Amino acid sequence: MSSRRSTPASTKHPKRNRLPTTSFLLEIGSEELPWQTIHPAMMQLAQLLEGFLANHRLSQDSIRTFGTPRRLAILVDGLATKQTSILQETLGPSKAVAFDAQGHPTKAAQGFAKSQGVDVGALETRETSKGVYLCAVKQEKGLPAATVLTQHLPNLLQQLTFPKTMKWNASGVRYPRPIRWVVALVGSKALSFDFAGVRSGARSWGHRFLSGGKSGAASQGLKIPRPELYEADLAGSGVVVDPVWRREVLAGQLKQLARSVKGQVYQANYEELLEQAVFSLECPNVVCGTFAPTYLAVPQEVLIASMEEHQGFFSVVNRKGELLPRFFAPTNMDVRNMELIRVGNERVLAARLADARYFFDEDRKVKLADRLPELNGVVFHKQLGSLYQKTERTVVLAGVLAEAAGVPEVKASGQRAALLSKADLVTGMVGEFPGLQGVMGEHYAAHDGEPAEVCQAIGEHYRPRTPDDAIPETTVGRLLALADRLDTLAAFFYAGMVPSGSEDPFGLRRSAFGVIRIVIEAGLNINLGAVLQQAEQRLAQQGVKADGHAGPPLHQFLEERLRYYGRIMAGYREDVMDSVLGRADGDSLDLRDLFLRMEALQAITSQPDFDSLIVGFKRAHRIVEKEAWTTRTVEAALLTHPTEQTLQQAVETAKRAVAHSLDAHDYHGALKQLIGLKSPIDQFFDGVLVNAPEPEVRANRLSLLRQVDDLFSVFGDLSQIQVQGQ
Amino acid sequence: MPVRSNGYRSLAATILVTVQNLILSLHQFWAHHNCIIYQPYDLEKGAGTFNPATFLRALGPEPWRAAYVEPCRRPTDGRYGENPNRLQHYYQYQVIIKPCVDAIQSLYLDSLSTLGIDPRKHDIQFRQDDWESPTLGAWGLGWEVRLDGMEITQFTYFQEAGGHALDPVTVELTYGTERIAMYLQGVDNVYDLEWSKGVSYRDLFHDSEVQFSQYNFEVADIEMIRTMFASCEKECRALLQQGLVLPAYDYCMKTSHLFNVLDARGALSVAERTGYIGRVRGLARGCADAYVERRKSLGFPLLAGSGAEPAASAKGKSKRLVS
Repeated sequence: MSSRRSTPASTKHPKRNRLPTTSFLLEIGSEELPWQTIHPAMMQLAQLLEGFLANHRLSQDSIRTFGTPRRLAILVDGLATKQTSILQETLGPSKAVAFDAQGHPTKAAQGFAKSQGVDVGALETRETSKGVYLCAVKQEKGLPAATVLTQHLPNLLQQLTFPKTMKWNASGVRYPRPIRWVVALVGSKALSFDFAGVRSGARSWGHRFLSGGKSGAASQGLKIPRPELYEADLAGSGVVVDPVWRREVLAGQLKQLARSVKGQVYQANYEELLEQAVFSLECPNVVCGTFAPTYLAVPQEVLIASMEEHQGFFSVVNRKGELLPRFFAPTNMDVRNMELIRVGNERVLAARLADARYFFDEDRKVKLADRLPELNGVVFHKQLGSLYQKTERTVVLAGVLAEAAGVPEVKASGQRAALLSKADLVTGMVGEFPGLQGVMGEHYAAHDGEPAEVCQAIGEHYRPRTPDDAIPETTVGRLLALADRLDTLAAFFYAGMVPSGSEDPFGLRRSAFGVIRIVIEAGLNINLGAVLQQAEQRLAQQGVKADGHAGPPLHQFLEERLRYYGRIMAGYREDVMDSVLGRADGDSLDLRDLFLRMEALQAITSQPDFDSLIVGFKRAHRIVEKEAWTTRTVEAALLTHPTEQTLQQAVETAKRAVAHSLDAHDYHGALKQLIGLKSPIDQFFDGVLVNAPEPEVRANRLSLLRQVDDLFSVFGDLSQIQVQGQ
Repeated sequence: MPVRSNGYRSLAATILVTVQNLILSLHQFWAHHNCIIYQPYDLEKGAGTFNPATFLRALGPEPWRAAYVEPCRRPTDGRYGENPNRLQHYYQYQVIIKPCVDAIQSLYLDSLSTLGIDPRKHDIQFRQDDWESPTLGAWGLGWEVRLDGMEITQFTYFQEAGGHALDPVTVELTYGTERIAMYLQGVDNVYDLEWSKGVSYRDLFHDSEVQFSQYNFEVADIEMIRTMFASCEKECRALLQQGLVLPAYDYCMKTSHLFNVLDARGALSVAERTGYIGRVRGLARGCADAYVERRKSLGFPLLAGSGAEPAASAKGKSKRLVS
C-alpha cells in the first residue's frame, strides 16, 4: 500500500520569487454560431480553462473571454511561463519490512525503489500513525506553459458542450457549426496543434466584408502578433470581439436614433432583442428606416411583432407610447453609404406589414363566434379532446368561479369571454404570430361588437405570461384566466399526465403558478376544491378517460406551487409553510386562505415571545402525542395548583377568541391570542409535574394539555416550527 | 462595371438580371466550380431536396456535386395569384456538394457577386435556421442567409437523411430565385418580374397560380387522392421488395405530393395529418435503406473517380466529376 501526496514546491520555498509570466490567447474561429449559444460557451470556456490551468499548476492573474458569431476567444493575463514544480512523496513499505536484521534493504524496499524510479539509498522515512514507513521523494519539474497547452488544448476544446452540434468533416469533432481556424498564442509564440481538422497558429480572420479582400476566402486573414493585441487588431479588421462593448455601441446608437426622431425605443422586449443583436453581429451598426404610416391602422402589437419576431428590428414609440412609423435595424455593416441597406430593410418590412394587414383584414371578415365550429378541428391534446371541448369546459368553470368568488353579476360576461377565448387561435394572424393569442382575440371581439369587459377579458386571460408579468386587471379577466388554467390542470391530472422531475411538457407548473398568483394578488378566496370537482365532472361527461391523478394529487401539486410562491415571492420560512400546508381538509382548497395563514405565521415569528411559546407548546404537544391522549375533559375540581387554574382559564378565553378571529380570517389576531398563552404554559410546566402520582390528577393535566394542543392545531401544525438558534 | 469572379464574366452583371439570366449565371458559376449542371426531376415535389439528386445522393460515401433548378409545388401556399409574395409553384436553385468543402460560405458569397450583389455594399447575415423534414426523416444545421434583412437562401449541412447519419456530410444551398430576382429588379410583386426580356412572370405563371389554387383548395377529388396515395404507397413497398429502389422512390415522392394536396384541400384532421406524414417517412426510410444497399452492391461507383475514401476527402478539395 502506498499513498500519494503532493506538496507544491513553492510552499517549501516561501521566499522564492514569483515566476516569470506571459499571456495566452485562444480563438476558435467558426462559421456563424447560433446567437444563443455564444454567451454560455464563453462562460464554459472560461471555466474549463481556469480549471485546467489550476490542475496543471499554471498560475494566472486574470481571464477574459470574447465572443462573436464567428469566434469564441479567451485571453489569459499573467500566465506563468512554466508549471510550478512539485515534490511528490509516495509512501512505501513499513521500515520493519524494508530492512532485514542487518539493516540491509529487503526485496520489498528494492522493489519499491524500482517502482518509483529512485535509488534505494535515496529513500527517506516518514513517521505515520501506523509506524515508520519508507518514502520516495521525487521532484517533478514544471513544463513550459506552451508545451502543456499544446498537448492538452485539443482535448480541452472537445469538452465544450452545446445544445445542438453537427459534424462537417472527417475529424468527427462536434460543434454547433464548422470550425475554420484556431488561434493559439503564448506570448508571441504560436502554438501548433490539430483540432477539428485545422492547424492552430497565429492567423485569425476579421469581418467577412470589412477586412479587405473580396470576401472571407479572398482575404488572407490577419496575423495576431501577441495576445494583448487581439482586441485592437480585430477592431482594426471590423470586429468588436467584446460583447459588452457591442452592447454599449448598440444601446448608445439606439438611444441617439430614438432621440433624433423624438421618440424612445419600445421597451417590452428590448433586452431580448438587444441580446440577440449583440450576439448576432460582429460589427454592430443600427440603421433607421421608415414604413408607410397607413400601416398604423393595424394594431400596434401586430406591427411590433412583425418587426421584432421576423426581422429583429427595434420599434419606436412617442411619449404617449404610440408607435412611430419607423424602425431600427441592427446591421453587421459599417460602410459610408448605408442607403442601399436601409432601403433593402424597408422593402422587406413593407412586405411583412402588407402580409400582416392582409391577415388583419381577412380575419375580421369572420366573427369570432362564427369560428367556434372550427375549434372542433383543433386538437387540444389527443386524450383531452378538441379546443372546442376545452372551450365548453372553460365556459362552465367560468360560471362556477363567478359564483364561488361571490361575483354572480359577472357570470354572463365571464362565460361569454370563455366561449370566445380560444377562437382567435384559428385566425390567420395568430397562425402567423402565435405570441399574439389573446391580443388578437381582444381586437377581433371588439370589432365584432362584443361588450368591453368580454373583449378585455379575452385579451388578458393569458396573463401572467411570465413571472414578471402582471395578472389580469379586470374581474372577468381574472376569472377567465383561472378557468382556463384550472381546466388545463384538471384535465391533464385527470388523464394521468402529471409533471415529474424536470419533465413538464405541458407547462402545468406555470399554469398552477398563474392560478396562485391570481388568487393571492387579486385577493380571491375561492374553494378551488369544489371548482376542480366540477372540472372533473365535465371531463367525465366528455368521455375523457380517468387515470387516478385528479383530486388529492392535484391539490397537493397546487400546494407545492404555493410553497414555491411563498419561498420565491414572499421569502417565507420553510417551517412556517410546513405548518400551514399539507393538512388536506377534505375537498376544500382555498389557496389564498393558506397564504394568509402563512403570512400571519411568518409575521409573528419575529415577535420576542414566539420562540419560547413554541418551546412550551411543543413540550405540551410531545407529551400528548407520546401518551396518545385523546381525552379533553378537564375537571375544575381537580385543578389544585394555581398555575393549572390560570392555564385552564387562559385556554378557555383563547379558545373563544381564536375561533372568533378564525371566523373573520383574522389570522394575525388568532396568533396574537396564542402568544398570550406563553406565560400560562411556561408557569404550568414550572409549577406542576404532569406525571402526578395520583392517576386522576395526571389524567386531568394531560387533558388540559390536550386542549392546549387542540387550540394550537386550529391554526396549523405548529409542531413543524423549528425554534431558531436550536 | 461588370463584377468578375474567378476569371470569367458574369452574365447577370452585364445584362439585365432577368430570372432566366439569374439562373444562367448560377449555372455558369457552379459549373465553373465543378458541379454537374443537373436537371429538374420530372415529378411533383415540395422542395429541391426531394429530387433524388439530393435526397438519395446525400446518402452513402460517394462524392457528389450538382446544381439544378427545381420547380417546387406547395399547394397550401397558393393564393389564387393575388398575393405578391406567395406562390404554390416556384423555382428553387439547388446546389448540393458532398463532402462539403471548407470554403463553401465564400463560394456562395462569390456566387452572389456574380449576380451583381456586392457583399461589401450590403448587409449579408447568416442567421441560424436549422432544417428538419419530418417526411424525409432528415435534418441538418445551417442558416437562412439574409440580404439587407431579406431571406434569400437556405444553407444546410445535412446530418441525417432517411434516418441515416450522413458521412461524409453534404451541404445544400437553396436559393430563392424569385426573391433574389425581385430584389435585383427592384419589384415588389413577383408577377412583375421579368422572366426574359419583355416576358413577365405574370405572363408565364399567373393563370397557373389561379387554376392550381382553385384545384388544390376547392376541386381536388379527396377520395380519389386518398386512393392514389394508398396505391402509390403500396407500389413503393412492392418495388422495394423487388429491389427496384429508384422506381420505388418515385412512388414515395408521389405520396408526398398527394399528401400536400390533401392537406391544402383541408381533408386531413390533425391526427390524420400526423399519420400520413409517418407513412411518407416510412417509405422515405425504406428507400434510403435500399438505396445505400444498392450503391454498395454496385461498389459505390462514384468513389472510384474521386480517388479517395470519403473520410479522407473531407478536407475540402474539390473533386471533379465532370471535366
